[in-house]
Amino acid sequence: MTIASFVVKNALRNRRRALLTVISVAISCGLLVTLLTLQRELTIPPESEAASLRIIARNKVSLAQPLPSKQLSIIEKIPGVVAVSPFTYFGGNFREETVTSFAQFAVDPVRFKNLIVEGRIADGNYDDFIADRTSCFVGADTMKRYGLKIGDRMRFSGTFYPVDLDLKIAAVFQGTVDDRGVFFHHKLLDELMGNPGTVGTWYIRVASAEISNDVIAKVNDAFANTSAEVRAETERAFQMGFISMLGNVKLLIGSVSTVVVFTLMLVTVSTMSMAVRERFRELAVLKALGFRRRELFSFILAESFGLALVGGALGIFGAWALWTGIDLQKLTNGFLLYFEVTPRIMATGGVVAVFLGIFSSISPSIAVARLSVVQGLKTLD
Amino acid sequence: MALPLKYNYRNVLVRWRSTLSTVLGIALVVAVFVLLRGLARGIESTNGNTGDPRNILVVRKGSQAESGSLVSRDHYRTVQFLDGVARNQAGEPVVSAELVMIVSAARRGAPGDANTLLRGITPRGMELRPQVTLVDGRWFTPGRREVVVARRLAGRFQGFEVGGSFKAGAERLTVVGHFDGTGSAFDSEAWMDADECRSIFDRDMYSSLLLRPTDEAAGKALIEKIQNDKRLSLRAEREVDYYAKQTNTAVPIKYLAGFLGIAMSIGAIFAAMNTMYASVASRTREIGTLRVLGFSRRAVVACFLIEGSFLAMIGGVVGSVLAWAVYAYVVVRGITFGTLDFQSFAETVFQFRVTPDLMLLGVLFSVAIGFAGSLLPALRASRLPVIAALKSL
Repeated sequence: MTIASFVVKNALRNRRRALLTVISVAISCGLLVTLLTLQRELTIPPESEAASLRIIARNKVSLAQPLPSKQLSIIEKIPGVVAVSPFTYFGGNFREETVTSFAQFAVDPVRFKNLIVEGRIADGNYDDFIADRTSCFVGADTMKRYGLKIGDRMRFSGTFYPVDLDLKIAAVFQGTVDDRGVFFHHKLLDELMGNPGTVGTWYIRVASAEISNDVIAKVNDAFANTSAEVRAETERAFQMGFISMLGNVKLLIGSVSTVVVFTLMLVTVSTMSMAVRERFRELAVLKALGFRRRELFSFILAESFGLALVGGALGIFGAWALWTGIDLQKLTNGFLLYFEVTPRIMATGGVVAVFLGIFSSISPSIAVARLSVVQGLKTLD
Repeated sequence: MALPLKYNYRNVLVRWRSTLSTVLGIALVVAVFVLLRGLARGIESTNGNTGDPRNILVVRKGSQAESGSLVSRDHYRTVQFLDGVARNQAGEPVVSAELVMIVSAARRGAPGDANTLLRGITPRGMELRPQVTLVDGRWFTPGRREVVVARRLAGRFQGFEVGGSFKAGAERLTVVGHFDGTGSAFDSEAWMDADECRSIFDRDMYSSLLLRPTDEAAGKALIEKIQNDKRLSLRAEREVDYYAKQTNTAVPIKYLAGFLGIAMSIGAIFAAMNTMYASVASRTREIGTLRVLGFSRRAVVACFLIEGSFLAMIGGVVGSVLAWAVYAYVVVRGITFGTLDFQSFAETVFQFRVTPDLMLLGVLFSVAIGFAGSLLPALRASRLPVIAALKSL
């Protein structure tokens, strides 16, 4: 019998306990991975190269305060600005829904074309969108979710604006970080609202990432001390602002994760002590045969390490398979969009499992080291 | 005949190490469960606690929050003179036309801005909200750029202390007092004079109307009248109903609590099973002896079920107390929690609360974990053949 097979036999001698330990470690590791993924989902907006070139300018008072549309000509002339379009959040509810999870924006179709450079037209024709003032440009995910096709109509009832929209789908886009949005003509919104001469925000693209800070400063300065002061920031910073408003979510998930890891530790430590206590006699025999403490310690370590790793692997890959396999976007009504279990998160779970294996063998090993042969042989159970 | 409980009690104490780790594990699971439920409850109670059942709130049809609503001055005038609107001693209709603005302000102690609600309010509006009381400083003077902010907001934003100031648009507003909204949604707001607010933000329209009908029947008729009037396109409902609907914010936290509760309890059930199987295994001879003495299989099952549930219950009690201790710490330190309300796009401040019934729920939850975890081991104990059990070491 080799030492390896001795360890394996020992680990499996109480199959039920081995199984229970592995499952409870697996569940806890799976939970940890899920929590870390949730934290990532809620705190890190999806990043794209094109987004780093875009700036969103809003009213300094708050996002809800509109900006005068005459600012367009001033922003356009700022050096480094490649494209600019009005970008007004409509906030309507689709059909009879009470909470609609995808956003609708009023834009200038011609100018907007130069802003979302990373997207591509998946279906329909962008020129049709430009030509028809009552048409819209829709993300592929939304098309798929509601089973829509080109030429279908989308009706929205306004929650921020006291008007309703009835739009015809002219073109479909794909390949942006969030393929859900619906874009329509700002002119239509202006008309319905009786030409108030305002926009929600400005969506700006700059020539290169290096000059974006410079452009932001220039946009802010251009409207300083006017009746509508502007606050410009990169698209990413803008999204991060929303996340910071979510509040103590990060702290909350962080503390829950810590508790999960701690509970995990308790479970494995107690199982390992149980496993070692019930074979004190054998270990005493091994000692009598001349095995040294170091060797006994490595037996225990190998066993707890093995159990923790098997459990950890099951939990981590189980969570990965689960969250990759099911359509969370549909399940949570768009609240969770990607829920991507990244290699980094899986590695974190793995590290926790390894530490667990080492940690849970410490206290039984000390007990064994202290054990005298005679005492051990006397032990009954 | 049932086994004496003392047998279980002593057994639990003898195996104190595995007992302790099981109890602690369950305690942590229960503490997390109770705290998350407490958070969700805190958000819900903020909105549930707001408003006076007699008041009627009027917003634009289709808008989901006051901040996204527009009510024209014409409509305000029309509503003022509808039948059923109460009059005060001076004979004026008790209607408060208010403006709710979202203002972004710099956070205190953290980088970045967050949105907060600024309410332009009238003296009548303040009379209609008796749950809001001044706790520090004084009320604003109409016609001045002065605000009174909720005391709970003071710790979250820069310049919200009495005597401080912050920028809203091109204007600087001075904080002259703090009010306490007794845990209502108003604890997330800053109040100033309505007309001053309209002039600062150059707004012609109001956001909402709050009014008091003469009596309940008049209130019902008034709601119906406003709702059905096509010219107005306004939505009227009781103030309490309006706030009760604004509870969507708590939904994600509730889901999280539910998901974690299920996942962690499954883990805890397996851990409890492990402990109970071990305790059955090490007591094989005892069980054989008990059976020889005449205790029935059923008595043995009951014995282990009671032991497992009792063990878990101790964990549940410890966990609930732990959750309560966290709550007490938060209350003593005056820590408030804030989250983004997706309907108003402003920060909602809330206080999570751990109530006795939530603690009881936590204990029941732990007993369920203990029961589920000890069922299989108990059945196994009862099925041990007597002779083999006695022979085993």
